[in-house]
Amino acid sequence: MSMIPELKISGLRASVEGKEILKGVDLTVRGGEVHAIMGPNGTGKSTLASSLMGHPKYDVTAGQVTLNGEDVLAMGVDERARAGLFLAMQYPSEVSGVSNANFMRMAKNARLGEGNEVPVLKFHRELLQKMKALSIDPTFGERYLNEGFSGGEKKRNEILQMTMLEPSIAILDEIDSGLDIDALRIVAEGVNTLRKPEFGLLIITHYQRLLQYIDPDYVHVMMQGKIVRSGGRELAEKLEQNGYDWLKDELGIVDETVEAGV
Amino acid sequence: MSEVMAVSALAAEADAVFRARHEPESMVALRSRALARYEELPVPQYEKSDISRRNLTAFATHSDERASAGTTQDWQTIAGPYLDENGAGVLLVFADGKLVSERGIGALPDGIVVEALLDAVGKRSALVEKLHTVVPFDEDKLLALHAGLWRDGVYVSIPRGVTFETPIQIVHVVTRGGAGSFIHNLYEAGEGSSATILETYLAAPDLADHLHVGVTEAFIGQGARIKVGVVSDLPRRMTSVVVRRALVGRDAAMDWIVGEVGDGYTVSEIGSRLVGQGSTSTCHAVVLGSGRAHADLTARMVHEAKFSESDTTARGVMQGHAFGVYRGITHILKGASGSNGQQAEKLLMMSPESRADAIPMLLIDENDVKCGHAASVGQINEEQLFYLMSRGISEAAAKKMVVWGFLDPVLAQLPVDSVRGAVERVLERKMK
Repeated sequence: MSMIPELKISGLRASVEGKEILKGVDLTVRGGEVHAIMGPNGTGKSTLASSLMGHPKYDVTAGQVTLNGEDVLAMGVDERARAGLFLAMQYPSEVSGVSNANFMRMAKNARLGEGNEVPVLKFHRELLQKMKALSIDPTFGERYLNEGFSGGEKKRNEILQMTMLEPSIAILDEIDSGLDIDALRIVAEGVNTLRKPEFGLLIITHYQRLLQYIDPDYVHVMMQGKIVRSGGRELAEKLEQNGYDWLKDELGIVDETVEAGV
Repeated sequence: MSEVMAVSALAAEADAVFRARHEPESMVALRSRALARYEELPVPQYEKSDISRRNLTAFATHSDERASAGTTQDWQTIAGPYLDENGAGVLLVFADGKLVSERGIGALPDGIVVEALLDAVGKRSALVEKLHTVVPFDEDKLLALHAGLWRDGVYVSIPRGVTFETPIQIVHVVTRGGAGSFIHNLYEAGEGSSATILETYLAAPDLADHLHVGVTEAFIGQGARIKVGVVSDLPRRMTSVVVRRALVGRDAAMDWIVGEVGDGYTVSEIGSRLVGQGSTSTCHAVVLGSGRAHADLTARMVHEAKFSESDTTARGVMQGHAFGVYRGITHILKGASGSNGQQAEKLLMMSPESRADAIPMLLIDENDVKCGHAASVGQINEEQLFYLMSRGISEAAAKKMVVWGFLDPVLAQLPVDSVRGAVERVLERKMK
């Protein structure tokens, strides 16, 4: 299967508790591409990530999202995942009673579909190998899902899940927050191993730091619930050096947060 | 509403039965005293559980009477999933009060006694003096009825210094409704002894109205370590009222483990009187209520001696129209200084129609003690569900995973592997 995946977002609007956060987002992510969405806090970046995955707290009120032409918004959360969408979360939940390894095997088998389950030994071999690559202690496989993991361990575990599940489009929601520089490098290397034409990536971050390790093809800036500027790598560098004020000036934006756009 | 059988008729009827069974005089006298109180004593009152609305006369003085026509399942079908065919250790199965299967009694080490309590009392009339000393019959009407009519149940005695780790498993199955069950267990653990006992209560799913009043009394000698597990899977028309209480001696440890998975109406109290200095007791309870289950569980720990410790943990999951009530009662009496009582209860409501109440109570009459409680009642965590589903796991499977994780800390305590397996299978089957 060497299909080039495509996630197409058009005119996406979403609210939480009746308050509109996303105000018309347009973005297309294709296999082989790395997109970064940057922007200060409170501009709707994480809402975009959660809405794409179908978090029940967010109501999509307008717009379209398709993955390879299929209507993502009509799918349940689990169907989106099985269709090839992945969200590495900013604050992954802890679930006791289910081991990390068993959880990942269930998830993998759900993605592969009935009749295509991965043999247990093969799965464990692959898991151990990928844990090693991410410098995750093998005992983490037997520990309950994220339970008692440190912030950095949870983030690495998100990347481990991504490498195990092999999604076609992945969204990383502030995967760099709370990571020290070594962990950041390890996580970035893990992400980079996935880069290929069958895999597209959307990185949400407010630091340019991560982009030193994962080289983006496109950089977008979000303000007031919309993408207000898109460019290449150089846009991230400019933001790193000069901050957001020049862009706000250019766009005539005083307050970049969603609140201001109401 | 329940009607009460005229006491004279009941007593006379019962008296004839007991005399025909050649019970010791002291036993017959105890029963008469209890039945004499039956009418005047109040129906037990529980906040949140109005038991007077249940059929409290669904019993007979003799087990062969009034039993309704047979149900659709025999005891093997009902008990099958809970029995470990290849297992070791003692196993006694009673169906409608009759011993129908036994294993391992012959191989018991010297001095350990496991037999029907009625037989034990017949052989050792001194045991009568212990009956209803830990659970007095005059606490309420149903206990008086129980004291008058009990016929089933087991006596276990572990002699001083004996360690017997293979679980002693006792299974009671009701296949014919209406006769009532009155099961009395008496456990004696000698100084420094150690053992595990597992009581399992089962009944046919289509059983007619049936009253079960049960009592377990345990005497835990100095330094003894005893675990008692209770698994109960009772059907809709069963009304089960049970009190299980241990008297825990100096430096002894008593662990209670409860798994309630039925859809009947159950009101049970379980716990310990910590009468020996340095004694400890724990209670771990798991309750899954389905259908129209009414599950009322009280864990009661009474600290009567210095430096006694208790810890109770409960996890309840209510689905369908089930109603769960959990009361944690930690009572530290004056003089029990240096004691420590902890409780943690968490209840989960899985459907809009289910209800759950957690009622923690700390009654403290002594200054120099430690006490703590944590109670929560809530719905399934939406963030956890979203997280699991975002990895491709279906909503139903994700819910199960969250519930498993919720129950796991208590399930892991169930003392017999095969029974834990059976409880897990029942949970799996009943979880929607």
